[in-house]
Order: sequence, then C-alpha cells, then structure tokens
Amino acid sequence: MITSYRSTSKWLAFLPVVVMLTFVVAPALNIFIISLNFESFAILTAQTTQSVVWFTTWQAIISTILVLFFAMPIAAMTANFDFFGRRALISLISVPFILPTVVVGAAFLEILPTSIHHSAFAIIIAHIYFNFGLVVRIISSRWQQINPHLDDVARTLGASRTRLFVTVTLPLLKKSLQSAGLLVFLMCFTSYGVIRILGGPARSTIETEIYFRAMQLGDVSGALVLSILQLVVVGVLVLLTTQFGTRKSAELSQMVFSRIRKPQTSGQIIVIASVALITAVTVVMPLVSVVRRSILIDQQINFSIWQSIFIDEEIFRSLMTSLKFAVFTIIVSTTIGLLSACAVTYGSERYRVLNLLTALPVVISAVTLGLGLIITFDIDPIDWRGAWLMMPIAHCLVAIPIVMRMISPTIRDLPNGLRDASQTLGATTWQMWRTIDLRLIKPALVSAAAIACAVSLGEFGASSFLVRRNNETLPLMISRLLGRPGEIIQAQAYAIATLLIVACAGIIGVVDYFGTEKH
Amino acid sequence: MLDCRNLVVTYESTPVLQNLSIYIGAGEVVALTGPSGSGKTTLLRCIAGLEVVDSGTIFLSGEEITPKPAHLRRIGLVFQDNQLFPHLNVAKNISYSLMIQGTKQKLMDEKVAEVLELVGLTHLSQREVFKLSGGEAKRIAVARALVAQPKVLLLDEPLNGLDKELHARLLADLGTLLRLRGTTTLHVTHDQDEANAIADRVLDIRNLMSH
Repeated sequence: MITSYRSTSKWLAFLPVVVMLTFVVAPALNIFIISLNFESFAILTAQTTQSVVWFTTWQAIISTILVLFFAMPIAAMTANFDFFGRRALISLISVPFILPTVVVGAAFLEILPTSIHHSAFAIIIAHIYFNFGLVVRIISSRWQQINPHLDDVARTLGASRTRLFVTVTLPLLKKSLQSAGLLVFLMCFTSYGVIRILGGPARSTIETEIYFRAMQLGDVSGALVLSILQLVVVGVLVLLTTQFGTRKSAELSQMVFSRIRKPQTSGQIIVIASVALITAVTVVMPLVSVVRRSILIDQQINFSIWQSIFIDEEIFRSLMTSLKFAVFTIIVSTTIGLLSACAVTYGSERYRVLNLLTALPVVISAVTLGLGLIITFDIDPIDWRGAWLMMPIAHCLVAIPIVMRMISPTIRDLPNGLRDASQTLGATTWQMWRTIDLRLIKPALVSAAAIACAVSLGEFGASSFLVRRNNETLPLMISRLLGRPGEIIQAQAYAIATLLIVACAGIIGVVDYFGTEKH
Repeated sequence: MLDCRNLVVTYESTPVLQNLSIYIGAGEVVALTGPSGSGKTTLLRCIAGLEVVDSGTIFLSGEEITPKPAHLRRIGLVFQDNQLFPHLNVAKNISYSLMIQGTKQKLMDEKVAEVLELVGLTHLSQREVFKLSGGEAKRIAVARALVAQPKVLLLDEPLNGLDKELHARLLADLGTLLRLRGTTTLHVTHDQDEANAIADRVLDIRNLMSH
C-alpha cells in the first residue's frame, strides 16, 4: 500500500470493477445459469465430445513439452551469452507470439505439404512456433536472475556442468518453467485460430467445438456446457499452479550482477552462431512464405494483389475497422489496465481482488467470452448484439489482463522515497502522480499500449461470435478468404496477413525499444 | 602445497595479474591484501579454476592443476556474500558436495551434524537459508566449504559488511576453526587488522607481481 495515494484507490478501482463485472462476470455467470439444465450435460458423455476433449488435452500436453524442450537451449544462450545480434534475436523470436493466430495458421498452411494440412502434427508445429518466443523470454529473464556466483560455488564443491544444471540451475528455474508451461498449456488448450485454419473439419478442440455448436449447429446449450467444462479445467489448473507457486518465497535475490558474458571459446562461438542462425531462419521462414504467397499468382510474381486489397471495398473496410478497433482497444484497455494496476498497488489488501477480476478473461477464454456476451446482451434494453461496440469491448477484455500485468510491476517497484521527496517539495497528490508515477511508468505504458494494439489487430476468438456484416476485422477477413477457392482470393488473404506481420514486427520493436534500460 | 607461478591474466587488453607468483605451505593461513581492483578476486578465481589464466602454472600438492576444471580441483571458495543455494535448506546446502560425490545419506547426516556443531549452529539444520541472519549465513557458507574437505580453502573477503562486534567474533571463530582443522587457507581482505589477526603470513598482492 502507498500511503500517499491510499484515499484514491476506491475511485481508481470503480471503473475497472464496473467494466469487469458487467462484461466478464455477468456473462460468465449467465453461462452457468443458462446451462444449469441436467439434459444439457448429456453432451459430456457423447463420443464426439470425449474425443474432442481427449484431442484438446493431448495436443496441448505434447505442444507444451515440445515448446519447453526447444526453448530451453535458446533461453540458456540468451541468458548467459552476449553475442552479436542477441537483442535482435530476442525481438525476432517474440514476433510469432503477438502474431494473429490466423496468420500463424495461414503461414503453416503455406509451408507445410498439403498431405499434412489438417493434421495434429500441423497444429502442434504451429503451437510450438506461436509460443516458443514467450517461453524463451520467461525462462531467460529468470535465468538471468540466478547469481553466477552460485554456479561458481557449485563448481568448486565438485559439480560438473551437467550436475550444476541439474542441482542448481533447474531447481531455481522451476517456477519459471511451471509458469511458462502453464501459460503454453492454456494457450494450446484454448487454441482457436490455429485450429480453425489448420485443424480442418477432422480436428476440433473444445474451443472450436463451442463455436461450431453455437454458430453452426445452433446448439447453444451444448456450447455453454463445453464452455463450463473448459472454464473448470483452466480454473483448476490456474488455481493449482498458483497455490503451488506460493509455497516458497524469496528464492532469488534482486539482480545486482550480470551473468551475461562474451563467448570465450571458439566452440562456444560456433554453437551460439549455429543455434542463433537456425532459430532466426526457423522464425523467419513461415513469415517469408506468407509474403511470398501474397505476390504469387500462378507461380508468377504479381503485385496487383497489393493494389487490390486497398481498392477492394470489403477489404479496405476491414482494414479501417481493424484500425478503429485497435485505437479503441489501446485507449480503453490501457486506461482500465492503468487504473487497475494503480488501485491494486496504492490500495489495501482488499483491492487485490482486482488482480483476480482482471485475470478472468484469460481463464474464461476469448471464445467463451464472445459467447457469453451474445447470450447476455440480447434482451431489451440491452440488446447490444448488433452494436458495433461489442467487438472492440471484447478486444479490450482480452487485452486488459496483459496490459495490467505489464504495468503493475513497474508501479510496484517505484521507490516510495521519490514520492515523499516530491511531496516535501510542495507537490499535490495529482502533481506527484503526474510528475513521478506517470513519468516513470510511461515506457511500460507505451509497451502495454502496443501489445493492446497487437491483441486487437489479431483477436479472432471472441470476434468470431460478435462479427456483423459491416464490422469484419482483418483476421476474420483472412479466415473467410482462405476458406474460398481461387488463387487471387487466397493471395489477398496472404497480403492482409503480411500487413499484420509488419504491424506486429513494428509493435515488438516498440515494446523492446521502450523495454531497454535507458527507458 | 599451493604453488602459483608467473600467472598472467588480461581482460580486454588490461593486465590484471602480471607474472604473479605465490606459495602457501600445508596448513598455513595466508592473508592477501591489496587495494580494490588489484586482482585479488581474480587470483582466487584462477586458483579455483573459475577463470582461465593466459599463462603461468598452478601446482597443488606437486600436481599441476592449471588445465583441470573447477569441479575436479578440490579447492573450496567462500564468497563475500556467502552464495548459499536459495532452493536448499541449511543441511542440504552443507551436504551439497557430499551429494555430488554420491555419499550415503547416513554418512552425509553425520558429517553435516559434525560441521554444524563445529560452527555452533546445530539447531538451524532444517532452516531455509533466506531466513538466516548475516552471521549465521557466513558460518554456513564456511561450513559448506569445509565439508567438501578442500585441499585449499579460498576466502574472498568473507567478513565484509558485518558490524564491528560480529566481525570480531566471527574472525576469532574462523581463525580457531581453520587451525583446528589444519586447513590450508588463502584469505583475501582489504582490512589490514583482519589480515594480521587471522593469518600466519600477510602478503600484499602488489608485491607478488613482477613487471
């Protein structure tokens, strides 16, 4: 709690609480209430449902294991060695994670042989690609916090490099491995865009099944039951891992050292150069294939597609819609995220409930959120199903948990002495906040706004439910175009995907620029 | 016992150790003094095998150990900030080297109990290390290094940052402990009084180098 701002917390918390209760808690409760019908639960015993649940689970487990396996060496490299292009490599591998899932799906549709389209293999490969950068970032940043002198002590006590890794490094990375593993599992378990594009009719996860039942079969109660099933699994997992993670504290000290060093032997240089090169090529290849496909018609290079996407009325409208929604999401989610982060940090213990409230959209998943919104806001005077505002609101709900968690640590870590100094120099509470807090959290705020923009540009799950004739966003447009035959139409989809790749690369650039120490 | 001859270490073309030679006899406690940045810690890291020397040789009990990796040298190192493993409790920190050697649990327990008694902290064996006081953590760090039965113990300003009273008490205890066990020790400090109090011989690192 920050004494200087104590009295402001209730005002700061007001808007976030109202928004989350109205647009997340109420729809989630509504799902529970509507599906509290014994007959609806019969769907859980159906053979189809069981195979969907089984597929959802095993593909998520395999994807998680493989992501951790492939991310570990890169995390080790970026945490321990300072090599040419290190920062660029970290930025590059982060791009896939903020790419719209539809774009990742489209990229793998392009580079994988047709024989393995719509297979579990294609889905798992795409999941690895999508989540790899996130895991490297999580593990690498934790690894950098391990004091290198612990390695030295272990070595002088007789531990070989392998034993050192097993007995010291791995136990100290346990928490980050757990949280990275949980995040990846959740992303793969609730995967939607990738499955819609790469899964085809044969491969369905709970998330795509919810959409299929609600929007194509008209079986809303079945969809609601599946939403509850998913919600329960995700909720239990989050709860278990959070409990597990809080048993011990103060394991790693504040960073006052650097373990990053130049590679010393030629062997190290060769290994680092090779791994970095292979990683960079692996990340870039699918992206290049998307760009290539956007200028290729009948195996001939043709730039006319690029002209057409700006002339075609429908596509241009989608582009404008996406931009409009992105601006809305940036403003609203950054504001609510900032208010929530401030209320939690400045206020007493009870304001921590906002941590839970703002995390709900992650637990609930975007598709369930979309479904919840359309079944809740469907009666006068709140029949907002056709309102254009519902989709950007859904984008904001998906972005708020991320925004809040990007801003919170920065506010929490601000030295309180700065505020005290400001007050003793005559600043009012508002002046103190504006000149100290806001000034110092600005880089985190800009990064969070950039990520909110990426979330909005790529959001596909909730949007699938909330789309109306005149508010189709770019990911929805890509999905629709990919489902239609014709070289030109397909190329248009890839041209739009290229636009989104460029936007996401720019966003990562902004995030990493503002994440540097000078900021 | 420990014989370093003409050690040369250069960091990015800045010489840190220039033809440094030092000899420490078996069971001897030698204090090494010198100003900050004079290469004291670098010397310890080279002896422990954590840094590679550009040239020169290190002998331990007559055997050249210069190319040997750190984990095979049997040289203990205690850092100024202790560096206790945060994921292990006191007993597990102390028995770390025994666990690495594959020592049986019963024997490990005995040795841990013995060394804990030696440093007077038997009651803390199951405590998490981040709950230890500064003085307790120092004792545990020394105990952990001693359990490995190192041929040479290197102490890198181990008593830095302690208040006067605790410093005096730990210094006396450390001196007694090292002599009791006959541990060959190289103790780095910038405190001349500390050096005089603990060591058989006090050396200034600047006098060990020839240009």
